Amino acid sequence: MDQSLGKKLTRRQFIKGAAAVTAAPLIMETLPFYGTLAHASGEADLVIAKNGSPSQLLQAAMTPLGGMGRFVKKGQRVVIKANIAWARTPEQACTNNPDLLFSLVKMCYEAGAKRVAVWDHTCDNYQFAFARSGLKEAGQKAGADVLSGHGRNVYKQVEIPRAKKLKTAEILRDVLETDVFINFPIPKQHFATELTLGLKNLMGIAWDMEIMHKIDLHQCIADINTLRKPDLVVVDAIRILTTNGPKGPGKTEDPNQVMVSTDIVSVDAYSVALFKNPKTGKPFKPEEVRFVKLASELGLGEIDLAKIRVKKVSAT
Amino acid sequence: MIKTIPFLRRTAQVLSFLFLLYLVIKTAFPLEIKIPVDLYLRLDPFVAIISTLAHKGIIERMLPAFGVLLLVIIFGNFFCGWFCPMGAVIDFFDRLLFREKKRAKAFDDQPLRRFRYGVFIFSIIAGLMAFQVMYLLDPISLLTRTLIISFYPPAIYIFNHLVPQVQSLLPKNPFSILNIPLPVFKVNLFIFIFFMGILALGVIRKRFWCRYLCPLGTLFSITSRLRILKRSVTDDCTDCQKCVKECPVGAIPEKAPQNCRQQDCVSCFKCLECPPQAVSFNFGIPAWKTVDGVNLSRRYVLGSFAFGCVSALMIKTNPLQSESGLKNNRLVRPPGALPEEEFVAVCTGCGECLKVCPNNALQSTFLEAGLAGLYTPRLVSRIGYCEEFCNFCGRVCPTEAIRPLSIEEKRLIQIGVAHIDKNRCIAYDTEKICLVCNEQCSYHAIVGDEKKRPIVKEEKCTGCGICENKCPVDGESAIIVYSSGVQKKLKPENSNNKSG
Repeated sequence: MDQSLGKKLTRRQFIKGAAAVTAAPLIMETLPFYGTLAHASGEADLVIAKNGSPSQLLQAAMTPLGGMGRFVKKGQRVVIKANIAWARTPEQACTNNPDLLFSLVKMCYEAGAKRVAVWDHTCDNYQFAFARSGLKEAGQKAGADVLSGHGRNVYKQVEIPRAKKLKTAEILRDVLETDVFINFPIPKQHFATELTLGLKNLMGIAWDMEIMHKIDLHQCIADINTLRKPDLVVVDAIRILTTNGPKGPGKTEDPNQVMVSTDIVSVDAYSVALFKNPKTGKPFKPEEVRFVKLASELGLGEIDLAKIRVKKVSAT
Repeated sequence: MIKTIPFLRRTAQVLSFLFLLYLVIKTAFPLEIKIPVDLYLRLDPFVAIISTLAHKGIIERMLPAFGVLLLVIIFGNFFCGWFCPMGAVIDFFDRLLFREKKRAKAFDDQPLRRFRYGVFIFSIIAGLMAFQVMYLLDPISLLTRTLIISFYPPAIYIFNHLVPQVQSLLPKNPFSILNIPLPVFKVNLFIFIFFMGILALGVIRKRFWCRYLCPLGTLFSITSRLRILKRSVTDDCTDCQKCVKECPVGAIPEKAPQNCRQQDCVSCFKCLECPPQAVSFNFGIPAWKTVDGVNLSRRYVLGSFAFGCVSALMIKTNPLQSESGLKNNRLVRPPGALPEEEFVAVCTGCGECLKVCPNNALQSTFLEAGLAGLYTPRLVSRIGYCEEFCNFCGRVCPTEAIRPLSIEEKRLIQIGVAHIDKNRCIAYDTEKICLVCNEQCSYHAIVGDEKKRPIVKEEKCTGCGICENKCPVDGESAIIVYSSGVQKKLKPENSNNKSG
């Protein structure tokens, strides 16, 4: 299903990977245990990194997956769909962690990206959301363009052939045309859909988000994900919002984790367990969040975590 | 030296207009400019006097305007000719559109010159009682309003359509350039026509508006009678009539060019270009007396006065306006606005708050607020909502009709309350899960019941209108913000200790 997974390891990639493995201990002060395990095409489908600073977590999580070089090739354009929807401060955990965004953009550039753009169609006024969340500053500091989908001219009307209900939508042109697409969600509690995860993060590439509520929210979330499969999903679970979602402010928790995967359904299926289901009092099961189930039914990824290779690493 | 004076004056006019334009453009997020963006309005003594009288108290922001009045007493009416941005626009269009030959022949303008004093008396009387006519005619307020409501949106429209065209000519840019959100204002055409009408008056006479209508000019005229810097003519005068012809405001009488109508002179110093160099300006003792004054008969003054009173009473007894009449509960005022009656008396309708509002939520009224509330700002949630962390409108209001509030104060002001129309709401009407309003609400004022249907908690609702704005129901929203009459202050609470 994933094109890059099926590709054979080229000699160049092998040499690069080998060089990285050799060079990593020389560059870094402490030798992380995963360093020697680095593999150019990835040895796991879903990696969870714990303990460490945002940049360490991302580094640690990306290495077993094959490093950023597996996804971003030299001269490519990268689009990151971040969550900058609300005019909230980073501590309130309603938007992405600015340090993590900074590291992510930096990693893309280090892998040879020509240009990185961070997009979101904000819910609050984009100027306030960009300023208060600190994400515009962080993204620009790392050299990315932080862009907002407030103007209709940046969208393109497309058919969604595999969709069940949302047959057509106006989608950010950059997302459709870019070489590499990274989905960068933050998991949060959500009153209407129980949780907001990677799948739901893609609502922000559409011009008309409200219409999805009108048609059938869960199905539309699954439908819109059939359009462009993200090459990489980076889940920012450094701090998560557990009440009053998605806008908050509410109670927060600090799992201090970063999850990366190429499979958006499995990464969502994994991250639901960060939250407690108010009905059962136990952590959520993937099937209890309807859009995750619908997405797996559409064949967007593997919902059964037993069937994929999950790897947990420690960043320090 | 003398030759350069007209050039200097033109330059000052152009710079003054460009500076106003710059301030208007800077009236936007993030509003970090050091100079007050409403500077011109704060320097307008006509607005200062009226709003201070209407407000029945000192308005701090308007105090610099009285300094301008003092300068007029010293130098005469320098403002109209040198710095008035409206005068600059009128001068420009007079030059551009109406050549001297095409203009109507000279006529005795004595009755017309008297007219603006009539307008002045009428607008003061009517304004103090009810009707905001003087704000409609004040040149600074009129110009900013026109620029913001009628000219700014088309400029953005052109910009947004031109940029992609230019961009396509450039080497391929991998990412699209963002456009600016297009502002929309309902009364734009009406204001545009009014402005064009003023410019068209130039066909009758140069600066027709300034000479015969402008109330700010009238105020300066009255004040400049006390001027200290005066024109004097020596006996060298050959009666060549050059100054009479060239005076842009016709302040020099044809029959006696050694005199000067102090009330009309705009201190442009054009008459210094005198062939025998007989003209000079010197400081002298102020004297109220002037030549060829306006013949304001008692009948004329009383007539204007009565007309002002009657029209004010007409408005007071109009059902839109009178207290017994129907109150418009869709009329939501911006947070921090004075109580309704005082608000319409103090608001100049300058449009600064409309320009600065980041969500285009503030709209100019037409008749929704009654006749007295023409061009006052209201919140139209379906177009835009009141941004949670924004207090810009209060910060740019020159007359403090919208009081300046801190962000924290502003977040606790209730301007209205949202009500759900259960017949139209998706969640009540169908089985679907919608809850856009709950998701968007910044104040946790909308909660969901066990069937995931929204319920408004009135005690928390500020009336910001984000729910009405984002409601996915077609046309009129299924959740509507109604004005709560008087703006209330909500109880602060720790927002972190609640369950959603």
